[in-house]
Amino acid sequence: MSNNFPDTQITRTPMSRRQLLARAGALGAAGLSLPAILAACGGGDSGGSGGGGSSLYVENWPLYIDPSEDGAIGTAERFMQATGIDLTYTEAFNDNLEYFAKIQPLLGTGKTIDPDIIVPTQWMAGRLRDLEWLDKLPLDQVPNAKNIEDVFKNPPSDPTGEYSLPWQAGTAGIAYNLAATGRELKSVSDLFDPEFKGRIGMLTEMRDTIGLLLLGLGVNPSSIKSFDEAAGAFEQLEKAKSDGQIRAFTGNDYTDDLASGNFAACVGWSGDVLQLSADNPDIRFIVPEEGGTLWWDTMVMPKGAKNRDAAAKWMDFVYDPVQAAQLTVWVQYQSPVKGVRDEVAKIDPALADNPLVFPDEDTRKRLFPFAALDTDTEAEFEEAFSRITGA
Amino acid sequence: MATAVVERIRSADRSSGEKWGLALLILVGACLLAVGAGWLPDGLNFLLLVVIGLALVGLILVAVLGGPDLRRSLAPYGLLKPGSMWLALFYLAPLWTLLRNSLSAKETRFDIQATFSWEFSNYGTAFSDFGPQFGRAFLYAGVATALTILIGYPVAYFIAFRGGRWRNILLGLVVVPFFTSYLIRTIAWSSILADSGPAVSVIETLRLDGFLEGIGIMDDGRLINTATAVIFGLTYNFLPFMILPIYVSLEKIDTRLMDAAQDLYSSASRAFRKVVLPLSIPGVFAGTLLTFIPAAGDFVNAQFLGNPNTTMIGNSIQDQFLRQNNYPVASAMAFVLMAIITVLVLIYSKFFGTEDLA
Repeated sequence: MSNNFPDTQITRTPMSRRQLLARAGALGAAGLSLPAILAACGGGDSGGSGGGGSSLYVENWPLYIDPSEDGAIGTAERFMQATGIDLTYTEAFNDNLEYFAKIQPLLGTGKTIDPDIIVPTQWMAGRLRDLEWLDKLPLDQVPNAKNIEDVFKNPPSDPTGEYSLPWQAGTAGIAYNLAATGRELKSVSDLFDPEFKGRIGMLTEMRDTIGLLLLGLGVNPSSIKSFDEAAGAFEQLEKAKSDGQIRAFTGNDYTDDLASGNFAACVGWSGDVLQLSADNPDIRFIVPEEGGTLWWDTMVMPKGAKNRDAAAKWMDFVYDPVQAAQLTVWVQYQSPVKGVRDEVAKIDPALADNPLVFPDEDTRKRLFPFAALDTDTEAEFEEAFSRITGA
Repeated sequence: MATAVVERIRSADRSSGEKWGLALLILVGACLLAVGAGWLPDGLNFLLLVVIGLALVGLILVAVLGGPDLRRSLAPYGLLKPGSMWLALFYLAPLWTLLRNSLSAKETRFDIQATFSWEFSNYGTAFSDFGPQFGRAFLYAGVATALTILIGYPVAYFIAFRGGRWRNILLGLVVVPFFTSYLIRTIAWSSILADSGPAVSVIETLRLDGFLEGIGIMDDGRLINTATAVIFGLTYNFLPFMILPIYVSLEKIDTRLMDAAQDLYSSASRAFRKVVLPLSIPGVFAGTLLTFIPAAGDFVNAQFLGNPNTTMIGNSIQDQFLRQNNYPVASAMAFVLMAIITVLVLIYSKFFGTEDLA
């Protein structure tokens, strides 16, 4: 596989997302991340190949792309140089449900939204597809789409694979602070150990938390169809909450509680914890022996998105293994692109051997995506979950 | 024709001026309410705005043309207009929308607009599913309000009577925290109160943890993510709203009244009870309203300082509105919250009176 974009220069002093987080923290402003950096670099430079003049708007989750700094040129900037497309890249995607509430009044009434590409988690992409709020991707213009890893092909949320192309994937498992637990953890049941009363965190992302508890109960979250099959996990969660076992339901901010020792253990995401453990070796991440959940965020085009050609170029660009490797080195999640591992090995050999970034066959077998639920069942799940999280 | 109209306006008397002033006020308010609440299709909204504009222009013309009597009788209604227009558009219209939403139901889950159907069961759901959150909201807000009075009164008293030339600086210091965002201040407390944070380590060094655990302030040796932390956060965040009104009412008190009381052989504490305290009650009353009402609806403190068993109704309303998309039940909850607060405030004002609110 060759680099299809030979005129982009990759000069990189690898910098992890963690370092950027630390820096942003020191500045006291996480908001001063990519948009500001892009704005500073932005615009004018439309040199390079490709037909200039077109534009593209991508809306993604925060800290999910390598930025231009320290002599390294970020993916967004490299894309602009390679194609001459005026890219607007924002990070307003912070929560699937909140984002849905935001776009619903527009897409639901046949209006369009500004972004050409948004990156919801796959179950939300499935919901948007069911509601017919998505356009098919211009995959015929994305030759690199053939590089997609087999596990991500035609998922239940997009059986024909025409509507979505994964951005990054990850695992929800157990993150713990060895200094606080005093022992290695290996099982989901460790989260319910009375010894850790009041020091356990769970995610507000229902599918990750419930999925993991289901695995602990021996239920495969990929195959559940009704609420009854999952009721055990909800009961377990309710009881743990009432007993005070659970300290908090968190979003991405669990990393602070874990690092400070407020949480002895929690449900966490692989990429975050990898970066935390680089600073603090006591912080560990495991896929529990019962298994972990597999999720991925996926690029989709909202209905009526204007810049289809530019969007195709963007997808083609980030599905080029050389370019995708740059993303992986920085975000440290699992890449859905074949051939990235070889490219990463050239930059950071240790990372290429990390099973959390590049799961081996054994690990893969223990990762389960959450089943695609029909609308009514999903509503039941979400109501029950929000009743427990108490919000 | 035109001259006849002008003539009639000239000769209009006081009472007809009052009638017309009131009618125009109601007309303008109702039109804005209709626009804000979306009662009419888009095209008609524009028409209503034209009506409002014409009514205002007409009022001005009449006032210019009319005699002094007419002008005087119209003046109060003219002056009321900006306020009532504001109220109609930004209070009554949203309130009406909320009420209507709270009695609506969604046909399918991803409906954008709920359909109005006298769905009283939303109120049932609000109570049955979120009873504990309501209870905690009022409990925490009540305790926090009491604490702000206990802390805020002495502070205000000190600044007002002992502050001397430092008064303004001290008062400024009370306000200084507002220069930092509410959110940031609350999140800052979550690191101060953290398990390995300074607050806990001071308590442990002083060996107070057993005692604090005994009286229920600490829980399993921690402060953060407990009810204590939520109440503490509310108290901290709303303290200035208690100090400032109390200060204002204390500052107005003529200190010679206290001298007079002592001249009449009153002890200092009796003088305080009989003179200062009653005169400062309006400040306490205003401070209570400013603290209790927003505290009862607050969700920031419970979110950052609490745990899943200490959530308040504000958290639930926020979640139902912004994450669950359940507008009908969320609206019912917001309405119930408003109703309970109104009743509580009415009862409270019965005892403390609002006549000379500071």
